[in-house]
Amino acid sequence: MLALHGRRESEGDLDRAWKLLRSWQLADGSFRPSGEVKDGTWVTAHAVTLASVRGVNDASVRSSVDWLLREVGAEHEVPMRVASFFHWIPTKLDVSHEGWPWRSGNASWIEPTAQTLVALKKVASQYRSADVEHRVREGEKLVLSRRCSDGGWNCGNPNVYNFDLPSYPETTGLALLGLQGRNEQELAGALEVARQFRAETKSSLAKAWLQIALRCHGQQVETPAEKAWGSSDIMLAAVQALGHPEGNYRLFGAGGGVGGRT
Amino acid sequence: MTRRKFAGLSAAAVVGTYAGIKLQRPPKLSDGPAGKSAVAIIRARSYSDDLVSRMLQGIRECGLDVRGKRVLLKPNLVEFDAATVVNTDAAVIVAALEVFERLGAREVKIGEGPGHRRDTLDLADDARYRASVPKFDRIFTDLNRDDVSPLPNFAGESEFYFPNTVLGADLIVSLAKMKTHHWAGATLSMKNFFGVVPGSVYGWPKNKLHYLGISESIVALNRQFGSKAFAIVDGIIGMEGNGPIQGTPKPAGVLVMGRDLVAVDATCARVMGIDPEKMTYLRMAADLGHIHTGRIEQRGETIASVRTNFALIDQYKDLRLA
Repeated sequence: MLALHGRRESEGDLDRAWKLLRSWQLADGSFRPSGEVKDGTWVTAHAVTLASVRGVNDASVRSSVDWLLREVGAEHEVPMRVASFFHWIPTKLDVSHEGWPWRSGNASWIEPTAQTLVALKKVASQYRSADVEHRVREGEKLVLSRRCSDGGWNCGNPNVYNFDLPSYPETTGLALLGLQGRNEQELAGALEVARQFRAETKSSLAKAWLQIALRCHGQQVETPAEKAWGSSDIMLAAVQALGHPEGNYRLFGAGGGVGGRT
Repeated sequence: MTRRKFAGLSAAAVVGTYAGIKLQRPPKLSDGPAGKSAVAIIRARSYSDDLVSRMLQGIRECGLDVRGKRVLLKPNLVEFDAATVVNTDAAVIVAALEVFERLGAREVKIGEGPGHRRDTLDLADDARYRASVPKFDRIFTDLNRDDVSPLPNFAGESEFYFPNTVLGADLIVSLAKMKTHHWAGATLSMKNFFGVVPGSVYGWPKNKLHYLGISESIVALNRQFGSKAFAIVDGIIGMEGNGPIQGTPKPAGVLVMGRDLVAVDATCARVMGIDPEKMTYLRMAADLGHIHTGRIEQRGETIASVRTNFALIDQYKDLRLA
């Protein structure tokens, strides 16, 4: 829906899709990932981003934002913080920051945290609440604290039993997407890692997320030589389209608004 | 609460971290089900050996009938690193596809849902699955993104979602890799079932399983699917040390096969020089299958003739088989 946003010929389809998505919203404000699944999950962040892009700011969207603000990774809870303080857990995670889990009651990871940061930054101007500001700052700190020793990000666990784990291109792109608005000097090294990943990865999905992230950080990204989107995989085609020079990548930015490209 | 107990409870609660078997009290070992289980150890020194003949031999030894069944081959596709051997080798999948088609399966599909990486087909490309396995793109399902249906009462959860491809299979063949594992001691045919949990519902990694407990989840998945499973463990070249991703290649020169996945994993552990009775998930699964050597009918090679000790990280040194 983000990829097609702003295309006049897609408006009817997008309205129907939005109606379907809203039918997946639960009473607590969260969204289910599909019609089959009963629980609300991290995809609520995508729904809030989409609502913001569509200019929807009604009570049900606000309940989704409130749900996101209530969600906290379980590693931030007191027992884990105590265990971490005494080095009783075999990872080097800084559990003092509040991120977002894939599902309620689980630990924080890079992708749900990054996508929630995107969503909250988009709605921050409408809420102007200290809660939103606090969670955005905390989420950014969590992402920064989970950076791998090689300069990028993996799912969110950079070290186990004193063994450094490697970063991945797709999660590096997503982490940088969540960190939009931070001091670019602070992120210079990570952006360089992202550029390197983009040049080297064969993964079309990773390349597309890296393009979106780099463009959102104002970086010049050469148009890929290969066909921009040719996949029969709808998700991949959508992410590729978003990362195209004329794509809707700006919608992931705090300023990306109701209009979109036409 | 003792520091050790507290650490155990805490460790069971976080990230991919957090349920180290060393921090849990070992459960009492069950006598297991009645009867004995056949496990075949078939020697294969390289991936260019005739793996089809060897698999057919192992399947015959274990008495598996696949005629008319919808078969799902479940390789271990986790991550790619050209410097080591993280995944089930493509040659093993190619051979298994031919074997199960030749034995009269109604259909043979391949499915996997990697726990860390989003682009499954890219991983399959790196692991040379797409180049080596005939019609791969047509018969492969990314289990992370498959349509799902709920099953009731799984691992204490009122509902748990699984891919329809998995639920619809009559026989799931766990094409596992023989590797050490920094959370479970070793990852073999039973742990390989983590890949049937859909990332689209549970995330990357499937953190819900860590919260349920890694050993508990391994056992729950096998309690759910073990009765329609068969194991072929790729130990031709396994992984030792800091597995399952950063370890080093370790040739063991075997395929280990069987219908009782507990017995298969116990046998693999012994081949690797690991005491299966010290592995928490196997102790917990002892009511599902056999761990004791006296209850396992070893077919093909003997354990002693193929045993080769896999290096263990410090945290698991005490798992070493005497």
